[in-house]
Amino acid sequence: MAADAAPNVSRQVRSLLSDRCYRCHGPDGEERKAGLRLDDRNSATRPAESGATAIVPGNAAASELIRRISATNDDERMPPPSSNKSLSPAERELIRQWIDRGAEHHEHWAFSPPRRPGLPTVRNTAWPAGPIDRFVLAKLESLDLTPSPPASRETLIRRVTLDLTGLPSTLADVDAFLNDRDPHAYEHVIDRLLASPHFGERMALDWLDAARFADTNGYHLDNGRDMTAWRAWVINAFNRNLPFDQFTVEQIAGDLLPNATMEQKVASGFNRNHMINFEGGAIPEEYLNAYIVDRVNTTSTVWLGLTMACGQCHDHKFDPFTQRDFYQLYAFFNTVPENGLDGNQGNAAPLLRIPTIEQQQRQRELTMALSDAEKQLQAAENHHRQAQSQWEAKVVGDESVPADVRQHLAIAVDQRTADQQKAIETFYAGLLKNQPQWSDTHQRAEAARKDLHALENSLATVMVMSEMQPIRDTYILVRGQYDRRGEKVTANVPSSLPPLPADAPRNRLGLARWLVDAQNPLTARVIVNRYWQVLFGVGLVKTAEDFGSQGELPSHPELLDWLATEFQHAEQPVDGSPAWNLKALIKAMAMSNTYQQSANIVAEWRAHDPENRHLSRGPRFRLSAELIRDQALAVSGLLKHRIGGASVSPYQPEGLWGELSSRGDSKSWTAQFFVQSHGDDLYRRSMYTFWKRTCPPPQMSTFDAPDRETCTVRRARTNTPLQALILMNDPTYVEAARKLAEKLLHEATSDDAQQAELAFRWVTARRPGARELGVLVQLLQSARQRYANDTDAAQHLLNNGESPRDATLNSSELAAWTMVASAILNLDETVTRP
Amino acid sequence: MFSKLSPIQQLLVRRAFLGQTAVGVGSLALQSLLGGASAQASETSGGVLSQTPYPTNVKRVIYLVMSGGPSHIDLFDYKPQLRKYHGAELPDSVRNGQRITGMTSKQKSFPCVAPMFKFHQHGTCGRWLSELLPHTGTIVDDIALIKSVHTEAINHDPAITFLQTGSQQPGRPSFGAWLSYGLGTENENLPAFVVMISQGSGNKTDQPIFSRLWGSGFLPSRHQGVRFRSGADPVLYLSNPAGIGASDRRQMLNAVDQLNQIALESVGDPEIQTRIAQYEMAFRMQSSVPELTDLSQEPQHVLDAYGIQTNATDGGFARNCLLARRMVERGVRFVQLMHRGWDQHSDLPKQIRAQCRDVDQPATALVRDLKQRGLLDETLVIFGGEFGRTVYSQGELTATNHGRDHHGRCFSLWLAGGGIRPGIEIGETDDYCYNIVADPVHIHDLNATLLRCMGIDHERLTYRYQGRDFRLTDVHGNVVQKILVF
Repeated sequence: MAADAAPNVSRQVRSLLSDRCYRCHGPDGEERKAGLRLDDRNSATRPAESGATAIVPGNAAASELIRRISATNDDERMPPPSSNKSLSPAERELIRQWIDRGAEHHEHWAFSPPRRPGLPTVRNTAWPAGPIDRFVLAKLESLDLTPSPPASRETLIRRVTLDLTGLPSTLADVDAFLNDRDPHAYEHVIDRLLASPHFGERMALDWLDAARFADTNGYHLDNGRDMTAWRAWVINAFNRNLPFDQFTVEQIAGDLLPNATMEQKVASGFNRNHMINFEGGAIPEEYLNAYIVDRVNTTSTVWLGLTMACGQCHDHKFDPFTQRDFYQLYAFFNTVPENGLDGNQGNAAPLLRIPTIEQQQRQRELTMALSDAEKQLQAAENHHRQAQSQWEAKVVGDESVPADVRQHLAIAVDQRTADQQKAIETFYAGLLKNQPQWSDTHQRAEAARKDLHALENSLATVMVMSEMQPIRDTYILVRGQYDRRGEKVTANVPSSLPPLPADAPRNRLGLARWLVDAQNPLTARVIVNRYWQVLFGVGLVKTAEDFGSQGELPSHPELLDWLATEFQHAEQPVDGSPAWNLKALIKAMAMSNTYQQSANIVAEWRAHDPENRHLSRGPRFRLSAELIRDQALAVSGLLKHRIGGASVSPYQPEGLWGELSSRGDSKSWTAQFFVQSHGDDLYRRSMYTFWKRTCPPPQMSTFDAPDRETCTVRRARTNTPLQALILMNDPTYVEAARKLAEKLLHEATSDDAQQAELAFRWVTARRPGARELGVLVQLLQSARQRYANDTDAAQHLLNNGESPRDATLNSSELAAWTMVASAILNLDETVTRP
Repeated sequence: MFSKLSPIQQLLVRRAFLGQTAVGVGSLALQSLLGGASAQASETSGGVLSQTPYPTNVKRVIYLVMSGGPSHIDLFDYKPQLRKYHGAELPDSVRNGQRITGMTSKQKSFPCVAPMFKFHQHGTCGRWLSELLPHTGTIVDDIALIKSVHTEAINHDPAITFLQTGSQQPGRPSFGAWLSYGLGTENENLPAFVVMISQGSGNKTDQPIFSRLWGSGFLPSRHQGVRFRSGADPVLYLSNPAGIGASDRRQMLNAVDQLNQIALESVGDPEIQTRIAQYEMAFRMQSSVPELTDLSQEPQHVLDAYGIQTNATDGGFARNCLLARRMVERGVRFVQLMHRGWDQHSDLPKQIRAQCRDVDQPATALVRDLKQRGLLDETLVIFGGEFGRTVYSQGELTATNHGRDHHGRCFSLWLAGGGIRPGIEIGETDDYCYNIVADPVHIHDLNATLLRCMGIDHERLTYRYQGRDFRLTDVHGNVVQKILVF
């Protein structure tokens, strides 16, 4: 333990110094006080401007740092009282010990490349199913903790189905799994889920947050945009398991790939999802700057887990990134032929027109028709041109030829001026056009040209990246102000990270490849951490958005590095599977016994792992906004499973947009007034719900969905009364309860308890206990009596929602079961991933 | 050498054993140590500031946001000299390189416009106010007028985002969210932060508003403002669906509670206990909110004082003002009224008269009503918009008509209530109402001052996000001490 403790202490001290001291004694040169830099060992261990030495390794007593953090005098004490920061006695002691032991300095962990660790030894060799479990168990054993028992099979299949597809397991799936004696039954379930087209939808959900995807432009009048094609690309990319490095390159720079396909260009729309402004009177340069800043911030957060945003105005206070680093990254993205103010007609340039399969076919037909006609015209013209000299000889002196042409014809061919010759040719061509065969062909060509033009104008578009020539110059902007140019810079990666390879292009393609280069210390860690977050609710690094000095230290640093190197296959490709294989990564996590543990909290253990950071039990957390609704639609049979397509507008209270927007006066603004969908579009997965940025769908935002104005890689999970109101009263959930009840009444069971059990299993996958069943049956009986006495109330209840009601069913009975179904849909267990 | 549990863990353990809420000493430390939201999810009532560093009796805020940018020139910033310059070009020396919005930057002429309204002196303080604000004239001794507020923004979206969140770019928590986070709620049955919106009689087809103006930004979403609307469902999804009565709901919830309780016993997750409590609060809101929004018990003279009429053209502003009083009476921490229509690019004389008719009487009645009930000392009232308007005409200046463009370099707003020195005036602008010549108050200074009124040090109400401790005032803000009584 002692040997392991040293780097651990060093990390803790680094983290302390970062939080309390770096603001004035850190990477930001402009703010640095007394010339002292505590993030740099050389600076910290040599005499500062005052002559005193902050850190004398091995001798805390001689270290000025210790004297100052221990000073009782306000003028001397560090951090100064005015900073609102302080060090506790325990923290001071930790620093003292660290100096006494030699003040060993470790570079911030996340900036050193992950090294593939050896697997730790464990006492309980029977428990681990694979390397993940070895790391987790080793930590638990070092804390004298033991893993929890495995979750029940019902819990497990519901858990993994929700995690991998975002949909609940069907009862048939549950029963099949319960009855499957094959020792590989669980693996087969995982393989089935990974192959499901809903896997791509589930993974896309988090990606839409990260990419700040929305259906409106976000600023001011906030009218519509259409990034449907980009969303479809993302879903499809996850489904075909596009290697994550390629997934990265295509989204950052798909347009710059050699012979880029239309799909690859569509992928580059990732960095066009930011907000776009066209407010009358706004200054274009100001917003152009905002878009590029957004791209830098988003790209840095999503792939690098870095908080580059600080660099817009000044050097980073905590991490080794300068303002220059920020604008060098900015230069990669300051190359798009776009307007500062745009989007008033929907999508903003640059755009890509994207035909459907049918449109492509029609496009080919028209193009062919046009070229056929043009060829015929050309052939006819060539033929007639040869005939022209014969014609000329024939018509000399012909009265039907206009006088001026006659005069030209009288001149010998080699004596005519160019104008004279041209006049003759024009007249002759006119004669030809009047011939029936010629003019038909001519008309065909015209029609094809017109249709083709109309077709092209009707094609859907998607916003994409493209590179302007020449590119704009980039300057450091003084204090981040768009109109205060400082020094000129060119595109480059941050100087404290590995450099771009010498032969790499200095453009987005070079940047994209650098992000997924084996030398990059951050990307693989950041990405595996986020998929850990998807499956375990919390990342190994809890601050998934910040891997810098101010972020939290990883709970299992070696496991994180093992996963990162496994994902990259940087050192030892195992089974010939491609590197950056996301499905393989997720499968490894889901197959672990760590993942399969029961989430039940044993009271006496809770104290030892209150937040489950040691992973001594299974993860249990509330479902995300989208999944809560999708689950209700799925278990009630309402869900439409179609993948992709344009956004839809399910139920929402009237007037929500109209009270905020104001441009109903003109047809040129879109998305100003909410128009609810009908039919199938009411029941599509929530990831297709139209996302108006200035007024996001309340069903989603009340359950912590972000507003999609900026990149989000970690959602909060709150628990509020407004959520309860939605689950109780939103027509979505009342209708789902009714449909669930209808489904139930068609089942061949006559016993109330059996029926209640079935409804409970549909939703939670498990059989209710006797007490639980008792509660449900009691609710049923009182509701049955109530609605038998008041059939009007029953009718009213059943009229919620637009889906037709099954008129063959007794309304009081259906209303009573609707009440029971609604109770089940409102359970904590229902909205929680078990 | 190290004990098995870190101090953070010990705190968490203690909290877990104490039950789901950890309010009071230690929670601020806990919040800052954890650097995140999820561990706090269980707390619904307490804020992170268990006690405020400055003594204060101010508990609540009512923010009357005049969306669109009311003309300070025509309402508050009286400049008799301006008459002289009427119709004359704005001198370059006054404009002094100020950037101009794209709406007037191509205009060839910038003629100054004196207000087409009379000004009168009011109260013992002798405050000059436009004839458009006769009611406000009766409370000038209770309010403090700031004539030197300024902002960098010159367009609506960034300017109003700045006013409400302290940042021109989206992504930061709004003022009310910060207060909900810092101070929590005083009423378990109502949200801490409520927003109400009204469309005024002036410009009806311009500036939209956005939910980010009452959003929680990176704070947990429970701190976002809850929009109260007129009609059957003052809070979204408050009412039971047709066919479910209050007793049906109670029965259903009894079953849900019992089932959740059984789950709690077997699963042991304290989050389940919180969910049970939230369902109970939802049920209580189903009666507390309709009780709150039911004005039928208010005597006629109160309705009359606010000018509440059934066919009013104020978009509901008067009603919202009365509701605001009822909310602060019941302990709602932050009430934000958004009144739209102040964007007078053209047709200013007619539009601004209508806008003033919407708000003058209700806002005045609100202050007076709070005072009469002894609530004004505990409540901070703010009246103002995201910027002012230009002294020069936008579009053609005629004998009776003109417009004004956006102007952020100086504008006026007023404050009343707890902590505010009544009957004073702060700041001075030049003869053109164009530049500040004394006591500038930046939006950050204003926000620092408003927080100070609540007893909060604006530098200490912070939230760790992406490694940085964010605050409402970013890295700026000086408290305007002159305006405070303490």
